[in-house]
Amino acid sequence: MTGGTVLAPLAALVIGTILVLLAEAFLQSENKTPLAVISLATLVIAGIFAGLLWGRGAQAFGGLLRWDDAALFLAFLFLAAGAFAILLGMRFLIQQEMNHGEFYGLMLLAVTGLVIMTATVNLLVVFLGLEVFSVSSYALAGLKRRDERSVESAIKYFLIGSFAGAFIVFGLALLYGGARTLDAPALPAAISSSLALAGLALVICGLAFKIALVPFHMVQPDVYEGAPTPVTAFFVVAPKAAGFVVLLRLLIPYAQDGLKKEAVFSFLAGIAVATMILGNFAALRQRNLKRILAYSSIAQAGYMLIAVVAGDPSGLLFYLTNYLFLGIGAFGAMIALGGPGREALDLDDLAGVGRRYPWIGGIFAVILVSLAGFPPTGGFLAKFYVFSAAVRAGHLILALVGVLTSLVSVYYYLRIVVVMFMKEPDQEPAVDTENPAVYLVLLICLYAVLQLGLFPGNIVTLIRQAAASF
Amino acid sequence: MNAPLLSLITFLPLAGAIVLIFIPREEKRRLYVTAMIFAAAALILSLIMAVRFDGGEAGPQWVERSAWIGYGIHYHLGVDGISLYLVLLTTVLVPLVLLASWSSIRDRIKEYLFFMLLLETGIIGVFLSLNMFLFYVFWEAALLPMYFLIGIWGGKRKVYATTKFVLYTMAGSLLMLVGIFVLQSAFAKATGTFSLNIFDLYRLTLSPAAQTWLFLAFGLAFAIKVPLFPFHTWLPDAHVEAPTGASVLLAAVLLKMGAYGFIRFAFPLFPDAVARFAPGLAVLALIGIIYGGLMALIQKDVKALVAYSSVSHMGLILLAIAAWNLESLEGAIVQMLNHGLSTGMLFLCVGLLYERASTRLIAAFGGVSRKMPVFAGLFLIAVLSSIGLPGLNGFVGEILCFFGVFAANQVWAIIAVTTVILAAAYLLGMFQQVCHGPVKNDRVAGFKDLSLRELAVLVPIVVLMFWLGLFPGTLLRKMDATVARYVSLVKNREKIFVEADRTTAAPNLGGRKNAGNAEGQR
Repeated sequence: MTGGTVLAPLAALVIGTILVLLAEAFLQSENKTPLAVISLATLVIAGIFAGLLWGRGAQAFGGLLRWDDAALFLAFLFLAAGAFAILLGMRFLIQQEMNHGEFYGLMLLAVTGLVIMTATVNLLVVFLGLEVFSVSSYALAGLKRRDERSVESAIKYFLIGSFAGAFIVFGLALLYGGARTLDAPALPAAISSSLALAGLALVICGLAFKIALVPFHMVQPDVYEGAPTPVTAFFVVAPKAAGFVVLLRLLIPYAQDGLKKEAVFSFLAGIAVATMILGNFAALRQRNLKRILAYSSIAQAGYMLIAVVAGDPSGLLFYLTNYLFLGIGAFGAMIALGGPGREALDLDDLAGVGRRYPWIGGIFAVILVSLAGFPPTGGFLAKFYVFSAAVRAGHLILALVGVLTSLVSVYYYLRIVVVMFMKEPDQEPAVDTENPAVYLVLLICLYAVLQLGLFPGNIVTLIRQAAASF
Repeated sequence: MNAPLLSLITFLPLAGAIVLIFIPREEKRRLYVTAMIFAAAALILSLIMAVRFDGGEAGPQWVERSAWIGYGIHYHLGVDGISLYLVLLTTVLVPLVLLASWSSIRDRIKEYLFFMLLLETGIIGVFLSLNMFLFYVFWEAALLPMYFLIGIWGGKRKVYATTKFVLYTMAGSLLMLVGIFVLQSAFAKATGTFSLNIFDLYRLTLSPAAQTWLFLAFGLAFAIKVPLFPFHTWLPDAHVEAPTGASVLLAAVLLKMGAYGFIRFAFPLFPDAVARFAPGLAVLALIGIIYGGLMALIQKDVKALVAYSSVSHMGLILLAIAAWNLESLEGAIVQMLNHGLSTGMLFLCVGLLYERASTRLIAAFGGVSRKMPVFAGLFLIAVLSSIGLPGLNGFVGEILCFFGVFAANQVWAIIAVTTVILAAAYLLGMFQQVCHGPVKNDRVAGFKDLSLRELAVLVPIVVLMFWLGLFPGTLLRKMDATVARYVSLVKNREKIFVEADRTTAAPNLGGRKNAGNAEGQR
């Protein structure tokens, strides 16, 4: 295979990014639709190139870039997340008076970073991808320049992100010093000194920051709340997926190693328990819709971590796939429900939505119910896979905590449904009915959530293939 | 038997719900007619199923089985003597409930019918599933429509009531979900293959400790649903706030899902634990019988009274299940039907009164029989059926229950008989206050007797009550074989195993051999 095709997906993304940024500079028009079109086309083209590589196990740069099926599957997820975020953003940016063309370029760059991050087993390359993503994500969070919250969000994200980056870099230094390699599969055999183990721990902590696991989650709700909603939708889905996959690549080699397994995995099990409990109970106390969903995304990370602890790659990939549609769908519904010009939504603002706008209310309800884990939606099947894997791996406690915190989550997810369908409004809900792009995204999410819950056969086949490469 | 009869019965209502989406919300009549057509189609198919059902066969019939997700998860439906009549009860009641809702639901009719049909699919699926995963999916899927039915069309405290209902039910069923994972994992360890087929899982021998925990997990889910004392507190709230149609289905069929769960899953899966827990279960059931009856005596709201009477009656059903012999189990199943018919009808009657008076307080009525003689007559039949008057359906079920329980434990039986006395006291007392005496006030004076539509709702139930009361044999014949098999499944566990071993040849104690069966044709 020629080097050209191997690099094609990344090359497409980078070229697209440059095109969008140049077009923004030279295009004097206020209409940014051409930028959106170029970005979407870029994502589609990159997706096609990635599709051509499926099942071929292509490599480049002496194995530093590895397109195993897992990497490609994740690449599809990131491309989709980016495309959804752009669709959600097109009209939102205009309404929020922050119609900056940079949004599109930065979004492409963020996607590129995440793709690099997962398409390798070398931790240094992981770090490279992470930084590409991070730098663009700080700018994305602060895109709404005149809004204090958005700026605060950007600063907090930057601080915590640099912190995490520092953890990882320092960890890598120690690891390399102790183990003489940064290839994840080679690490278990190479790590002999406690110095290298400390390095590994630091890397894991750095990733935990990025995924927003308790206790590394502190500022994430503020970031999620302050960032523009389409960006938040991207943040809760894509970087989480990347972080988890890197974590899994790092830990899978250890799953065979009995002794070390105990220490690392019981540490992670503890974190999973803490994340599930704290995320769900914190969400219980919120009244602001965006904060509820922010904490919910932290809680969901706890469930995903169970899959890592249970050593079940296909369960994790299924959960991530499903959460792509749930996270995007939930924040997308928020955008539609906010109507023109409003971003911060209190629960009470939703009263009467179910009566006036049964379609959007209904779709949002399905997504919430799926987040809570009700069958026959994908959310249930995702939890089913993860919890049953935990029980099979002997982590009964994790499954128990998982279902009990799910019960807590039922309360706050359904509370949103209650307000939409069962409360009478003081004033008419302001729903944006003229945003076809958002509706398109919502319909796709609805379809995907039901498809994943009822007839997951095809996607499960793909996932099994992808999971085999871990 | 080539047509997927059971799938059709299960999913016709769902298809109806989807069709409803595309009908404009202003066209009330078209919405109702569409919903009725699909509900009636399910009814007709289920009648065909009942008539052609072979009572001599103990195993499930019209079995449909196809691969679905993996990990032992199959799409697997079948009907046997236990589920047959519960399905029929559902398909009979739903069209009647829809008919009854014509005048009582004025707001958001489209959504109401949508959720009703969704609910029907969920309930039927619960009774027909032979795969634990599928069962759980339907079990939860039946929960949400009821959540909306109470939450949108309910009374003043509807949000509180419906949230309580969902959280209580979920608390139980989520623990059951973990139980399912444990079963799945235990089966995989024992045989090397995955199976959630209920008949495969019956063959699994678990350690007594594991059985104890699993029985508690499953038992809690079902006990909350039944509801067994002290897990019943959600029921009065839900009933009082729910609209009539939802109340009817809640009492008549949803509660049966709990009792059905005990019969189908909790008891036969964990026979060792049953030996330990059956007496405790019986005591709770007895407390429920008396407590429910006493609470019903002091209620001021007719609907709350009927709700507490449900707690009492379901206590008897559970007691009969705990006794676990042929008579008691058949009694329990028959009584489930009876309770569905009589309590369903009582709720319908209360709903008719409420539509006329906008109140349900017993004290607000009096002399109703003078203004509404036909209604009073039908109402009385429902009351008498609920008390268990010979000649009506209630009697057959109760007497079978008592026989069975008496054979198992005489003290239980003697205490349980109080249910009849209490029921007579609270139901007849209520009936007397509401219907007899002079016309109490102007409101009652303005009551109109039943319309043709309302008669069409009540008369079929009355006919069924007499039919079941006078000719119970037809009913029992079709369930004998299945029930006998389930009785021995718990009582004579070893024997079943020996037989099973012989049929599959190879004298092997579990282990690999079962593997072939698990994924093979059943």
